Amino acid sequence: MRLRLLAALFGAALVSTAIACEHGEALDASKMPENVRADYEVFAHKCSKCHSLARPLTANITDDEQWVLYVNRMRRQPGSGISPQDQEAILRFLRYYAADLRRIQAEKNGGAPVPAHQNQSVPVLTPATPAPPAPAPPASAVDGGAT
Amino acid sequence: MRSARFFLVALATFLFALAALIALATPASAIERNFAGSAQLDYHFVPTVRSAKAFPSTFDGFTMEFAGKLAVDFSERVSANMKVCYGCHGFEADMMYFDIRVADELNFRIGRFSPSFGAFNLRHDPANHRLSDKPLPYDMGRMLRMRQWNMSVLPSPFPDNGLEIDGTKWLGPSVQLDYAAYAVTGFKSDVRPLDIDFKLSRSPQAYYVDDNARPTFGGRMALTFKLGEASDLTLGASGMYGTYDPNNDQSYLIVGADATLRVDKTTIRAEYLGRRTELSTADRTLFKYVVADERGDFTMKHGAYFEVEHGLTSELDLIGRVDGMYRVGNVEAASELSRRSSVFRYTLGTAYAIERGLRIKFSTELWEFSDRDALTGRKLELSMHTALAGSF
Repeated sequence: MRLRLLAALFGAALVSTAIACEHGEALDASKMPENVRADYEVFAHKCSKCHSLARPLTANITDDEQWVLYVNRMRRQPGSGISPQDQEAILRFLRYYAADLRRIQAEKNGGAPVPAHQNQSVPVLTPATPAPPAPAPPASAVDGGAT
Repeated sequence: MRSARFFLVALATFLFALAALIALATPASAIERNFAGSAQLDYHFVPTVRSAKAFPSTFDGFTMEFAGKLAVDFSERVSANMKVCYGCHGFEADMMYFDIRVADELNFRIGRFSPSFGAFNLRHDPANHRLSDKPLPYDMGRMLRMRQWNMSVLPSPFPDNGLEIDGTKWLGPSVQLDYAAYAVTGFKSDVRPLDIDFKLSRSPQAYYVDDNARPTFGGRMALTFKLGEASDLTLGASGMYGTYDPNNDQSYLIVGADATLRVDKTTIRAEYLGRRTELSTADRTLFKYVVADERGDFTMKHGAYFEVEHGLTSELDLIGRVDGMYRVGNVEAASELSRRSSVFRYTLGTAYAIERGLRIKFSTELWEFSDRDALTGRKLELSMHTALAGSF
């Protein structure tokens, strides 16, 4: 009985493995604008040190101010390895990502897409320096699975 | 002793009041809330025994654990974290604390939390480590013969009530320094104990009550070196000291050292933990061996692991791990352990991301015990894990 159960579990896992070839945890960086890719790589490397990338990517946070607080909290985690410069890059990517989430949500609600720059009143680390605007994402830049 | 405790309490109160004043002086923006959670269903199969009765205390079969966490940022300086988890010992408050930050370099953590110790602590959630079970020095319930060994060196997670002062500081562009110092309730036991009672220490009946009114003190310091754009090295050292019995007669000291190297998609982790635990020799008939007059009143438990994790593709990770424990000292009369006992485990596993936030984990473990099992006479055991772990 136990061997059969185990065999069934292995079978299910093999099927899942086949599916895994098509669905991963990370985003497809090749679909992103070139100026976002480097920021995404910093995000992917730093944020996968302690937890899976699914945590931030499925958090469904569309508010830039909330990302600032969130990433600040993560940066302060012991051994995070997230320097202030890394934090800038991570937030640039997350602003881009949040803008795309807002666009997808607006489309779902049948409203007009929200411009990427509309929700960027929050300074990252240095209040005197305005944060650079996030590049506007193309329609297919972020995998729709994020929502 | 009493004056030292008074001074400590007064100092903590002063620092907390100062931090609260500074934190409250910062105008709070909108309160931000973030909810996260994780779950893991694991099937643990031990094919080297015909019946699970051979391991009455091993979780041979399905185990389920899940956790929900709420993080609330009141402002840039004040936040709260609450995490409730369900696992082998029912519902438990894994986190319930406030962070009051004066600066990145000075943060006050107050409430219930896992004190900073070792490198694994941050990854203890099953969604955050790629194998089904934890490294042996931190293992709690999935270890074979866990009752004989009284679990690991420091079963993780180990939430406790108290105060932690911690901070982080970048020393130039490439080096990050982290520190933490804390005073917490500490582990517990009955009077005249032979070891720490981990079940009593976590018992919900005594969550808010210290058994001996004397805190356990500890700390951690770590340096993270940025070696390149996709590589870094963390070196850390931790320590914890306190008494665990109601009469404050028996003490424990836990020390640890850890190293984590990340190079692109490969992570190499090595960690050592050692625990010196004093035991009561009031009743010498309880022991298996004659109690030595010198150095006979304590045990040493060493534990270590070496782990390599490599991302073959963005969906598939390959993990190899060698871990073990070595215990030296007297044991209870009925124990199957010897004066010197060891266990080594060799693990090979994979983790597949079948969807964002959802992984299937496989692993096979070969166990090598120094003592024969009383029922089967076996020293070698084989076990397998299949698990589904998800996070959101």
